[in-house]
Amino acid sequence: MAGTVALRPCGDFRTTYGDDQTIFPTRLSLAFCVLGVAALCLAPFVFGKYALSLLIQIGYLGIAALGLNILVGFTGQISIGHAVFFGFGAFASAYISNELNVPVFFAIPLAGVATTAVGLLFGVPAARLKGLYLAIATLAAQFILEDFFARARWFTGGVAGTPAKSFSIFGTDISGDHGYFYVVLAYLVILFLAAANLMRTRDGRALVAVRDHYLSAEMMGINLTKYRTMSFGVSAFYAGIGGALYAHYLGFVSVEGFDILFSIQFLAMIIIGGLGSVMGSLMGTVFMVLLPEAMGGLARMLSGSTIDRLLSLDEGIVFLREMAIGAAIVLFLIFEPDGLAHRWRQIRAYWKLYPFSH
Amino acid sequence: MRMKRNDAVAALLGAGALLAAAPAATLAQDVPVGHLADFSGPTADVGRPYGQGVADAIAYINSHGGVGGKKIAAETIDYSYKAPQAIAAYKGWSGRGVVAIQGWGTADTEALIGFVTNDKIPYYSASYAATLTDPVGGSRAGKGAPYNFFYGPSYSDYARGMVQWAADDWKKKGGKGKPKYVHMGANHPYPNSPKAAAEEYARELGFEVLTPIEYSLKPADFTAQCLTLKQSGANYAYLGNTSGSNVAVLKACQTVGVKVQFLGNVWGMDENAMKAAGNAASNVVYPVRTSVIWTDARAPRMAMMRDISKMSDPGGTAYRASHYLAAVCATLYMKEAMDWAAAHGGITGENIRKGMYARQNWVPKGTEGVCMPSTWTAQDHRSVLRFDLYRTEVKGGEGELKDLIAEGAITMTRLTTIELPRKTEWLGW
Repeated sequence: MAGTVALRPCGDFRTTYGDDQTIFPTRLSLAFCVLGVAALCLAPFVFGKYALSLLIQIGYLGIAALGLNILVGFTGQISIGHAVFFGFGAFASAYISNELNVPVFFAIPLAGVATTAVGLLFGVPAARLKGLYLAIATLAAQFILEDFFARARWFTGGVAGTPAKSFSIFGTDISGDHGYFYVVLAYLVILFLAAANLMRTRDGRALVAVRDHYLSAEMMGINLTKYRTMSFGVSAFYAGIGGALYAHYLGFVSVEGFDILFSIQFLAMIIIGGLGSVMGSLMGTVFMVLLPEAMGGLARMLSGSTIDRLLSLDEGIVFLREMAIGAAIVLFLIFEPDGLAHRWRQIRAYWKLYPFSH
Repeated sequence: MRMKRNDAVAALLGAGALLAAAPAATLAQDVPVGHLADFSGPTADVGRPYGQGVADAIAYINSHGGVGGKKIAAETIDYSYKAPQAIAAYKGWSGRGVVAIQGWGTADTEALIGFVTNDKIPYYSASYAATLTDPVGGSRAGKGAPYNFFYGPSYSDYARGMVQWAADDWKKKGGKGKPKYVHMGANHPYPNSPKAAAEEYARELGFEVLTPIEYSLKPADFTAQCLTLKQSGANYAYLGNTSGSNVAVLKACQTVGVKVQFLGNVWGMDENAMKAAGNAASNVVYPVRTSVIWTDARAPRMAMMRDISKMSDPGGTAYRASHYLAAVCATLYMKEAMDWAAAHGGITGENIRKGMYARQNWVPKGTEGVCMPSTWTAQDHRSVLRFDLYRTEVKGGEGELKDLIAEGAITMTRLTTIELPRKTEWLGW
């Protein structure tokens, strides 16, 4: 899936508009994508519960990360309050299904729509603000909504949190990881295709134009206010859907999960994955989900070992994980500023010419 | 050059994938138990000694024959006091078939009630919220929590006991007019848990109840809260947070010059906090949920506790805060219920629960005179209704905790033993 409006390698010429706008650059990449999804469909039968829960986590976080990438990577805006939109989607879906008795099947898209409305509201300042000022405006969204979650008992259950029903279709309960994996996968495929598709449309190109040079974009007749606000709305929609999927997976939503650190984590995902790349959002999410697990495993292996005793890590061993995440982000910014998506293209290019690379 | 970096990236990713797959393995013949701990979150100050107590007790059990001839395979997860993380950890455990869980905080334990009830997994929390004491449902707690157990009185009962003590203290001191009581704590399920119960009881006993004062679980500058407290003219203030946060409040209030009798909750005051707060922590009244504290470590009845402590401190020199003893008691109650289960059809969640009901007024073997005799029944999980009240005296000074206590720079005096009636209308809130 290209969906990328980034730099193209030399020699990659497109001769028709159709070529220029395909989602999949070659038939082979289409085939690979279809095969990949088909292979993922077999995942519940192959993987254990632990790996499956990680895949589900990658799924709902990936959707939300893609939303942020549309805002940051494609439109060139900034948001350091993405976690609260994710949280709003989670609470909204729980509320819609618990209090209004709407089946969870419908509650998830409805929560997405509700979050879009909130995103549009907080996107209004974006029409007038840029750069650091916009960052601070989105920070306000983070604090306002976080406080709202803690106090609006009717909506969120206050600080004690609220339970969320399990997903069901036609009375069949799909709460187990096996079934829910397909729900998340379906949303993931649809929303990623939709995002890749959006970037081929007039609106999508307008978003990229706003990012590349807002003044030129405005001179070409692009309504900056409209597209910046729209970008916030779309981004919030993705976050809301991701949050709703998270809520019904976990079965419980609580305000403490949606702090500013979580927002920063979303930013880390898209920076590591690659700004302005649809697939990069997913790659970054995979990286950010697996890194703490790998570091946790490392910490468990180390604890009680000679290294542990020599360095007297002791209780500090749990913090090893957090430090590794920080280190990974710094290293990525230095060595791989274009993200995993760029690295992936490099590897592909290498194999294309193998063994005669220049 | 370019390829080398590619190789390195691929190797790193590969190694990461291997590591991620590693921790899934467990031993089939062991008894799998989950252990949820807060070592890095806002309640880590008391989470560390408690978590150590659970770990040491399990190590001791395993080196002394295990349960029913099997070893306990405990997996400890540090969840940083975040309820969603706790639920994720629980999902992993329930998938791996744990038979019991040693839990931690109020928010996460309450969120898990439905899950553990469905999966029939006994959940021993370090949250003593009264909502967890009603196994049937129908009390003010609402839904029942049949698989939730904890050792010691509930937060509400501690608070009621302290309100009762405050009323006596007011009379003894010859105070005139209505004494003023104020609840202080973060807006979080744990400090909120006893608020309504204590305030209602205080009104009943003739207190004037003031507007609660909010302060965060993470220590910060609480001067504003202390000024409010001073202005309010409160006589008795309940501190609802854990000790780290309370140290900050006590210090700020000392600076501001607040003259009020502080009542610490069971997690709100301990030896480590007294050392950290210095003489600001003097004259705090707080409850203890074991019959002894570590100052009596040499007493014969503490023999088993000393052995358990040596599991992580072979020299036997460490001073253990009161939470450590409570953790050991909680773990040993679970262990004996497992022993009962092993002898009555196998170690399953349902049998462990029955094992908790099998005896009345019991203490785990070897902990007589340390753990309070407890009774759980299928209708009432209020295991204990009595506890000791201590008063602190801190002169301050530098050095290790055990030295400060040995020198008498930190002293804890037992004031009285509180015994509460088992009122039906107090169940569950």
